[in-house]
Amino acid sequence: MVAVPDMDSLVNPQQRQFNPYTENGGTILAIAGADFTVIAGDTRQSEGYSIQTRYAPKVFRLTDKAVLAVNGFAADGNMFVKKVKQRLEWYRHAHAKDMPLRAIARLIQTMLYARRFFPFYVYNILGGIEDDGTGAVYSFDPVGSYERETCRAAGAAQSLVQPFLDNQIYFKNQLAAPGMSHPTHLPLPDVLSIVIDSFTSATERHIEVGDGLEMYVVLAKGRGLGGMEAIGGVQELSERTEGERLFVVRRELKKD
Amino acid sequence: MNTFIDRFSTTSAASQVRKLKEQEEDEFSDAAWGSEAGFGNLAKGIPSFSVPSVHDPTAFLRLHTDDHADPNCRIKIQHGTTTLAFRFQGGVIVAVDSRATAGSYIASGTVKKVIEINPYLLGTMAGGAADCQYWETYLGIQCRLHELRNRERISVAAASKYLSNLVYSYKGMGLSMGTMICGWDKTGPAVYYVDSDGTRLKGDLFSVGSGSTFAYGVLDQGYHWDLTDEEAQELGRRSIYAAGHRDAFSGNTCNLYHVKEDGWNFIGNFDISKMHYEGPGNVPGAPGTGYGYDVRVLGRNSSNPPPPEAAPAVAAHA
Amino acid sequence: MSIMEYNGGSVIAMVGKNCVAVASDLRLGNQALTVATNFEKVFPITDRIYLGMSGLATDVTTLRETFRYRVNMYTIKEERDIEPEAFAHLVSSTLYERRFGPFFIEPVIAGLSKTSSGAFRPYIAGADLIGCLNFAKDFVVAGTASEKMFGVAEGLWEPDLEPEDLFETISQTLLNSVDRDAYSGWGAIVHVITPEQVITRTLKARMD
Repeated sequence: MVAVPDMDSLVNPQQRQFNPYTENGGTILAIAGADFTVIAGDTRQSEGYSIQTRYAPKVFRLTDKAVLAVNGFAADGNMFVKKVKQRLEWYRHAHAKDMPLRAIARLIQTMLYARRFFPFYVYNILGGIEDDGTGAVYSFDPVGSYERETCRAAGAAQSLVQPFLDNQIYFKNQLAAPGMSHPTHLPLPDVLSIVIDSFTSATERHIEVGDGLEMYVVLAKGRGLGGMEAIGGVQELSERTEGERLFVVRRELKKD
Repeated sequence: MNTFIDRFSTTSAASQVRKLKEQEEDEFSDAAWGSEAGFGNLAKGIPSFSVPSVHDPTAFLRLHTDDHADPNCRIKIQHGTTTLAFRFQGGVIVAVDSRATAGSYIASGTVKKVIEINPYLLGTMAGGAADCQYWETYLGIQCRLHELRNRERISVAAASKYLSNLVYSYKGMGLSMGTMICGWDKTGPAVYYVDSDGTRLKGDLFSVGSGSTFAYGVLDQGYHWDLTDEEAQELGRRSIYAAGHRDAFSGNTCNLYHVKEDGWNFIGNFDISKMHYEGPGNVPGAPGTGYGYDVRVLGRNSSNPPPPEAAPAVAAHA
Repeated sequence: MSIMEYNGGSVIAMVGKNCVAVASDLRLGNQALTVATNFEKVFPITDRIYLGMSGLATDVTTLRETFRYRVNMYTIKEERDIEPEAFAHLVSSTLYERRFGPFFIEPVIAGLSKTSSGAFRPYIAGADLIGCLNFAKDFVVAGTASEKMFGVAEGLWEPDLEPEDLFETISQTLLNSVDRDAYSGWGAIVHVITPEQVITRTLKARMD
């Protein structure tokens, strides 16, 4: 029997849509301290109700003082990180130094906006140490609008995590004890435990979050390890120990 | 018929797209490798944009980014705003809120919706945050080049027309901006409204965004050319408060700027909830009490019982 | 536009040690426009049961009266107060009556139920708009800020909170959640139900 295409599909116009995007779940988060920044993300990658892999990193080292977290469409995210890294390498060849954080932020804006009419479906959070030694977080929308902040969550569970962070980091809706005021920046161990709590909460209530947690810690130049020694499972990523230092801390999350 | 015209016209969106497609996205000039690296797609002097290879790129963009047409579309562009600017005897007042929403989620409460183009020019942000941020920064570059070429500052009229012509050249491609270009030049204080449709209006008083109707209500009632500086600043603040209170998509804080002959001044950042309960604090023009309705009626009649400090802290029911 | 987001609003209930708490925001809106800031969404059913409803405001008001009528009839016929378990099933069956043309509300029930020994046991339940009950042991949420409340409550809540600590936990959860939701907020009210009394407090919240 020869398959004969029905006349209808040959005669009438056929409509097709070009849909190059999908959503791969997961959540990212960054918090800036006075002289450090923590950038974290879970490692689950999913599509719909299926888990594609339990280990797909969403947080990437750019330089010793800059870390980029990407969330949304994984293919776009990986490609974008690759292109940012390429531009940073060119900069290094031309200037024999790493690009400052605020310049990386502006670079990312122009790179995202160059795709204004065919966007990268990616939410970016850039974290690291500014030239003046302060911790900084920059958050971006997919077409490049950006802002410097102290803390930001993005991705599938951003609406679960961000109000918790508002409460625990900015002390929103909390009154300071009489004669006291809230600290503007928290110490590193406190920040790390808030990050872990945020991700265990998100894992509990969101199906796209879980499996593993990667927390990148950037420490300002000459800051010392203050608070890092007590934490288990730390791996150093920085190439030199005299400048800014970069560490990654890994934790397990529930896999169900 | 339309496609026929599109194919041969030189001004339509389709021809724009054709023009843009001709530029390969990864085609970097030699400068991008050297000292100009880091300028992103501006390395060549004029920005270039990559466009999807589909029949109708505008429809493609709308399909994936327009959250009015489809709330479930993937790429959410931030919306919701109240911005205002008015001209008066003492210069220009620019006041904006700081909320960004994506659907019903408040994505940020600390957005800078006043873009400092240069020490004499301010632009406001409503619509697409990236569109406003990017093109008003770009406008800043062009204004500086104008200064270097002509040995004098660009007029507000010229700057606003530069922006208006620029966004008009992208008309139909999905840019979304509603902005006020404010400043002081040889002609005195000036305010221009520019939007992505290509509209450009000169005027004394504008408000843009989802909360603009609420702001206009207060603004129109209190506006007068002969306002003192303090009165004018208070009017700007009070108008943004009104919008923040009534409009779900506006709020958090108010950023207030005053443009005078010697350029703009940042007056301050005011928490809208704090203004509701306590007022804007000890600043010129402040009324000394909260703006809130309930603050003004508390204890005045039987349906508005006395302040809480007079009542027991815990109301116990059976 | 979702009809569940037409008026906005959120409710939450939490279990503590020998007590329960239930809270709501006070906004009534017409989409983006805030119409009223004194619209309570939690109502007393008996001395020990409170019902919170979020969703379409007209249905909140209608169902409040429906439940008042049905609970009064129950009290007269049975000559005793209704228990939280029975009331939860009354809510469930009332909502399921409209299976194919539902009331657009999600209820939250909080109460203390009397055990055979005469002591009280905390009880909370939630349901969807057609009455599928959810007997949670920790907290239930409903409304436009429900996702946010899930996140915050999961981070703040712990078992066996005393009434004052439970009050703080539910208040912080609600306030911080509605501050990230455009359609909820503009004031909040909290009820903490203990065997002895019901503590009701209105909270000073953001008004934008």
